[in-house]
Amino acid sequence: MIDFIQMIVSGIAVGSSYALMGLAMVIIYKTSQVPNFAQGEMALISSFFAMMLLTTFNTPILLAFFLAFVFAILLGCFLEFAILRRAKDPNILGMIVITIGIEMVILGLVSWKFGADQKIMPFPIGPYDSFIIGNIFITKLEVLTLVTALLLMIILFLFFKYSKLGLAVKATQQNSVAAQIVGIRTNRILMMTWGISSLVGAVAGLLISPTIMHPYMMWDPMLKGFAAAVMGGMTSLPGAVIAAYMLGIIEHLFGGYISIEFKSVVAFVIIVLVLCIKPSGLFSRHYIKKV
Amino acid sequence: MKKLILALFISLAFLLSFTPNLLAEEGVTDTEIHLGQWGPQTGPAAAWGNVARGTGGYFQWINDNGGIHGRKIVYHMFDDGYNPAKTKAGVKELQEGTGIFAWACGVGTSTGLAVRDYLAEKNVPWVGPAAGSMHWVNPPMKNLFAVYPLYVGEAKALVKYAIEKMGKKRIAIAYLNDEYGKNGLRGALAELKTHGMEAVAEVSMETKDSDLKPHVMLLRKAKPDLVLMWTTVGHSAKIVGISKAMQFAPQFMSTSTTSDFPFMMHITQGLWEGVITATLAELPDSGHALLNKYKKEVFDKYAAKEERWGVFYYAGIAFTEPMIEALKNCGRDLTRERFIAEMEKIKGFKGIGPEVSYKPFDKNDMYSRQGASQTFLVQCLAEGKFKQLTDWMDLK
Repeated sequence: MIDFIQMIVSGIAVGSSYALMGLAMVIIYKTSQVPNFAQGEMALISSFFAMMLLTTFNTPILLAFFLAFVFAILLGCFLEFAILRRAKDPNILGMIVITIGIEMVILGLVSWKFGADQKIMPFPIGPYDSFIIGNIFITKLEVLTLVTALLLMIILFLFFKYSKLGLAVKATQQNSVAAQIVGIRTNRILMMTWGISSLVGAVAGLLISPTIMHPYMMWDPMLKGFAAAVMGGMTSLPGAVIAAYMLGIIEHLFGGYISIEFKSVVAFVIIVLVLCIKPSGLFSRHYIKKV
Repeated sequence: MKKLILALFISLAFLLSFTPNLLAEEGVTDTEIHLGQWGPQTGPAAAWGNVARGTGGYFQWINDNGGIHGRKIVYHMFDDGYNPAKTKAGVKELQEGTGIFAWACGVGTSTGLAVRDYLAEKNVPWVGPAAGSMHWVNPPMKNLFAVYPLYVGEAKALVKYAIEKMGKKRIAIAYLNDEYGKNGLRGALAELKTHGMEAVAEVSMETKDSDLKPHVMLLRKAKPDLVLMWTTVGHSAKIVGISKAMQFAPQFMSTSTTSDFPFMMHITQGLWEGVITATLAELPDSGHALLNKYKKEVFDKYAAKEERWGVFYYAGIAFTEPMIEALKNCGRDLTRERFIAEMEKIKGFKGIGPEVSYKPFDKNDMYSRQGASQTFLVQCLAEGKFKQLTDWMDLK
């Protein structure tokens, strides 16, 4: 029984980082219908930027993280403004290919600038400092990630539901021409969503980096975050978060009770099953246009 | 008519200009020897990337000291990212494009396996694969000379020490689900069997697995008093870290690929202390004369400023020392046949690694191509210092 509870707790813990990446992907998809495959690397470069500030310039940690968040927002805005907006006659496939290209460029840049060796991110909480309750353990970093993911989800949910900007995002997503007619600057909305998404990704990157920090550190969280976003329906913020926790728990139970060898592929088996049974995802509402 | 004579003259001159190369061995000119190596400078095994850089520094040092019988080594190193498909593509490109005389080292079992048969078919010499796999010598191949002590032997030595010297009774094994990991697993299981024991858990993981909590939970569930790890550097660091978080504290043992203690202490933030590993070369603080010479004349002079002097860096020298010895012994008459013959004559060669000996090719004797069969065990102390637990041990 203790093992079972531990697997659930560990599944929720790892699900938090998937949730943050899933949230970041959903934010962009909501407005542009583009799955952003550069999401992981955008988080990566922001995390390395923070590490550089901390280790090379000895910046105080809070200031370094704040500057990394500003960097992330500017990076997201820049990528949308300078690259995606310039795409000629863009279709979804073309945009996806562009995000893959951006991903490769950023990965190459980080590898070139910082090297491929594992690095250490100075962080106030040690990666393996843990709380032990009975025989169940959870690291302090995982608790922080869990709280951050839930807080961000709530903030983003409220932002998109109740703020004027959030409504503008929704309008842009549902009908960009009509949104423009009523005075919404859809280009700016798109740029802003890239900035917010990049910020959420950077939060995930900074919370992952104390445990593992090298240029490939975001691959797994990005793929699992994408899987969660697909499971959740790609447009639902709570959906992506719930799916991410489900994914983390299922992975752990599968690894513990069925097969540790196939644990890493179970996420993708679930995606296939979800897409076969409920193509719109588990938690999204799809509007059907009547002709 | 004049034009015809001119065309004939130019054609003849063109043909003649190629004649020396047509007659010479591939990858060898009057002034150059082309040697190649792949190594992961990026990707999950990048921590072992300094093996190839160590070889590069060593070759530069040889060149600056006159080369080998008037020829300079031209070193072709490429990053395969520990991806066998990239290894194969890169080796074929260099072999068929540039023309490589021989290949040195090359990190990884799966990556090496991707090109082993290709190099054998072409009879291109390959010396010192940077992995202790049985696949290099079982069955032996005429062109392939292994230096790295076999993982199977290393695993046996570690398990034997754990049982006989430390009195461990419940041994669990965490291994990477590829040929590298399985070689370690086989050796450990074989040694356990000779003591009438079985592993209490065998837990495999994939290179790309980043969440290892389920793996550590399976290990903990088996209640081992010792965990033997045959995984990547990053995985080993995580296993030790997560175990600490779970308050699961068995003795950890690991392969020589994690024996760069200062580095391991750095990435585990001190948790590597107490871990026992096998090792493949003299220790950095041993005061070994030749090792000190390499430190001063190779590393200090040629290494990039962010490079670190450690086991992996000078492993790139240790694995290629026998190759250089054979190249020197060939004299000016350098052909692949001659080089292989000189490699076979190497007996009791001692550089900074284990003693190396080869024999004339015998398809029934893997030790005709497995040059080194020695290791010794070390334990990591505070600040990444080494405590030598045994002398060089024979693994045969």
